[in-house]
Amino acid sequence: MSAIHANPITERERAANRSQPQPGETPARLAGLRDRVRNALGFFPFLAPVHVLLLSIIVIPAFYVGWLSLNTSSFGQAPVYVGLANYVKVLTDPAFREALINTGIIVVVAVHLELALALGMALLFAGGLPGRRFLLVAVLAPYAISEVTAVAMWRFLFDPDIGPVTMALRALHLPVLEWSYVPSHGLIIIALLTIWLHLPFTFVILFAARLAIPGELYEAAKVDGATTLQSFRRVTLPLLGPAMLIALLFRYIFAFRLFSEVWLMTQGGPARSTEVVAVYLYQEAFRFNAFGTAAATAWIMVLISLLLAAGYVLILRRQGGAHAH
Amino acid sequence: MTKTQKFTMTRRQMLGTTLAGAGMLAGRPAFAAAKTLNILSHKVHQTVLNGPATGDLTENWRKANDADLAWVTFDSNPLQDRLFREASLPKTDFGVGYIIDNRPTADIAKLFTPLDAYQAKAPIEDYSDIAPGLVQAMTVGGKLIGIPVRHATQGLFYNEALLEEKGIKAPATTLEELVDQAKQLTFTAKSGTPVVGLVLASDLAVFPVMFARAYGGDFITSDFKLLPDPEAMEKGLTVLKALFDAGALPRSYATTRNDDQVTWLQQGRAAYTVLPFARNAQLNNKDQSGFPGKIKAVEFPISAGLKGKTPMASVVESWGMVIPNNAGDKDLAWSFLREVASKRVTLGMAINGNGPVRVSTYADKAFAAANPVAAVEAAVLKNARGAFPPFPEAARAQTIFLEEVQLAVLGRKPVKAAVADIATRVRPLLPS
Amino acid sequence: MRIERLLANGGRLVAVALILIWSLFPIAFVLMSSVKPAKDIFAAPPKFVFEPTIRHYLDLIAKWGVFFDGLLNSLIVTVGATLLAVVASVAAGYIYSRHSGRFLSASAVFLIVVRLIPPIAITLPLFPVVNWLRLNDTHLVLILLYATFFVSLGTLLMRTFIDQVPRELDEAALIDGASRFTILRSIILPIVAPGILAVSVFVVVFAWNEFLFAFVFTATRAKTAPLVISEMIGSIDGVDWGILFAAATVQLLPVLLFVGFMHRYLVAGLSAGATKG
Repeated sequence: MSAIHANPITERERAANRSQPQPGETPARLAGLRDRVRNALGFFPFLAPVHVLLLSIIVIPAFYVGWLSLNTSSFGQAPVYVGLANYVKVLTDPAFREALINTGIIVVVAVHLELALALGMALLFAGGLPGRRFLLVAVLAPYAISEVTAVAMWRFLFDPDIGPVTMALRALHLPVLEWSYVPSHGLIIIALLTIWLHLPFTFVILFAARLAIPGELYEAAKVDGATTLQSFRRVTLPLLGPAMLIALLFRYIFAFRLFSEVWLMTQGGPARSTEVVAVYLYQEAFRFNAFGTAAATAWIMVLISLLLAAGYVLILRRQGGAHAH
Repeated sequence: MTKTQKFTMTRRQMLGTTLAGAGMLAGRPAFAAAKTLNILSHKVHQTVLNGPATGDLTENWRKANDADLAWVTFDSNPLQDRLFREASLPKTDFGVGYIIDNRPTADIAKLFTPLDAYQAKAPIEDYSDIAPGLVQAMTVGGKLIGIPVRHATQGLFYNEALLEEKGIKAPATTLEELVDQAKQLTFTAKSGTPVVGLVLASDLAVFPVMFARAYGGDFITSDFKLLPDPEAMEKGLTVLKALFDAGALPRSYATTRNDDQVTWLQQGRAAYTVLPFARNAQLNNKDQSGFPGKIKAVEFPISAGLKGKTPMASVVESWGMVIPNNAGDKDLAWSFLREVASKRVTLGMAINGNGPVRVSTYADKAFAAANPVAAVEAAVLKNARGAFPPFPEAARAQTIFLEEVQLAVLGRKPVKAAVADIATRVRPLLPS
Repeated sequence: MRIERLLANGGRLVAVALILIWSLFPIAFVLMSSVKPAKDIFAAPPKFVFEPTIRHYLDLIAKWGVFFDGLLNSLIVTVGATLLAVVASVAAGYIYSRHSGRFLSASAVFLIVVRLIPPIAITLPLFPVVNWLRLNDTHLVLILLYATFFVSLGTLLMRTFIDQVPRELDEAALIDGASRFTILRSIILPIVAPGILAVSVFVVVFAWNEFLFAFVFTATRAKTAPLVISEMIGSIDGVDWGILFAAATVQLLPVLLFVGFMHRYLVAGLSAGATKG
């Protein structure tokens, strides 16, 4: 993320570069050009691996997907050009709209809940805890679990008939999660599962940022007679702001492409009521073999992700202005 | 341990493991035989070719051809997807694939080699013995594209011990009886296990289709009539909904899958289920089942009003072996197809739990002895037909059908409205 | 005042307990169930006292040999992807840290924008390409895919870490006539080791656990462990939960320990990514 936000060294250099070449000094300009070419050649072997990987594995296939999205095709059928018809078809499909709404709900509810939890935990940890190291490892543990295993264990724990958690809740006369029956419960269990898997990530970002806040700031606030709440609002929140934004952006983008958790947990059921956009895409591509609409869905996902990121950059720009980084 | 120490250790370890990994990669064993036939199938197609009673049924063929078999197996849906993708490439490594009978549309059929010429040149032993209906399912536009290899005919399985516990002497013979018994059988067993009357997967069209057929209706007929008798479908769904409301279908109905049905029956958590007869052996397997020898099967019952008037048309699904157009050694592939379709191998696979495609297999004494449900299966098969015919948008039509069925069964949409919506939403998908 | 502190401490204790239960209970349950006798796994109410057994592990070895092949495949793929991602990220991160220019800033933005494309969007067109290159069902295809999805983050992280290395060090070496490669290897690399470990943690965890790509691009020879576990769930013979839990335990323990040992670098990596943002 830091590339958008140029770091101090490069900023300084760029300023120096800009002031150097004066019109009229042709030999110096030529020398500069020669330097730049030599530099570029020198950079090449260092930058090549990263860019070759990205170009060949993500960018070129993505353009091919763009071409696919303008055609209809399936197994044994030659592609037929249809213009934007696939996009219209997807955007007017009620199933797609429901999938988009479900994705939106999960992104908004789960990610923010996760952020709040992570913030609380980061502050709790920063406040000093006995056995903090062990606790830290414990909190990080779900990060190491594969989605496949996580879904297997959650399906088992929350099994509506014999799951230990369900039975414990029943024994305590608490409401149980009927995730295979009530659609909203289906979304809840998916949200819980995705929070469980990704909370460590968000937590670590916030925890690391909190550790980076110098203790003197809090001492100064104390000297000024600030209460805990006041120092949280005046010191912690503003200084954690950038880290929270980054955590949010990451999680928005990753929650938006949520797939394995839903696919392995509910397959989008009951009655397609927990389907998310990535599952819709998977169904179109790998179940209905409608490559055109699948590709159109893929590009719609890409565009929405780009919009999310653009919004983030805007916020960051405005913030950067205010904070004079 | 300091930071730097840890780092150097890790770097060395990383190097070590890489070298080891590279070594293992390079040292993969080469195949022993001269040729290899790659096969794309479901796991079950591979396992029925080898069993304790029959030994390895492919051994003769492998020795005769100096060839090895390499199986790549997937679950049904991913398997079909992978098969079509492989067959769409310029060239594939796979010589043989397994296809479900409701998949070969005209477009899909183009991906596979027409087998009529091979059959003329090197015919399959006693070809007319193979059930004509199954051969028909593998014939598209007058061309034979697949050789039938397995059928799965749906039967009604019940746990005799649970029926006895509730004082029920005989399994249901009409749909009304089944509903009644399923409700009675929703109880807590003496063992303490909560039991539901009936367990069904919600992600297969098979079950609602059978309930509709019990009332003389259907989903899509083989000549593409959609909902020939909407009232029958309404009756079928009403019954399913009543079962769900009574708790006689599990609460988790909407996420229950085919494999769950097996587990529930083996663990005594359900009294009835609908599964292919071929599952009999597995349901009664001593190592897995809590009720070995107690799980039995009968024909799925028709409604009382139609009993004795029309036979019940249970659902049958069949598999065929195909050779992709872009395969390498097609002669080798055909010789494998011939061998698997032979009388000997068909019987052997049947003994290992495969639904046999040859009429003569059912007459075989060894098979009847090994398989207690052989007779009833043969009888059911006579009137059975596919859940729906193949057409390009069949998968989407099935998804819509199941979505509406689930909405109706869970009570989120009136049955009448759901059936009406099935009609309006599926109609545009049918071939004109 | 004292009561307040007592309450605060009590609240803190409850919070810690809740966090521990939330994070560890599901994992502990898997570990526990893997040594539970089969008939107790589904017992209601759940049994916490039982006679531990290694039966499921023996069954796993006897019936699911393919699982151990899967583990080996996972290991090869994980090590390969990590090495590739680290090498590519360090090299690029070094250039981004030490030089600037219009081309470089544009290519840095490119790194980020590309990362926004959802992986599932490219599975469709990649299949024929991978097949055409004869890479289907090989370790290499997974290594390339996994590394690709982490070189963006890796490059930016490495840049931040290399930024912290004083420029005087490499300028001095440059005057002595050392090449970029020599400077990177002998001066920069040893100092930014924690950064490398941070990047490694991300790639290792991802590559070890990934499901979707492995599902689409492998068949038998390169099938990874998570794929075998998912097969156990959808097994035709019904799910044998005991074996499943044993396999899950074997699959998750190494990476759990790895994350445990490496948590410091994970924190360092994310703080480099976040605070420098």
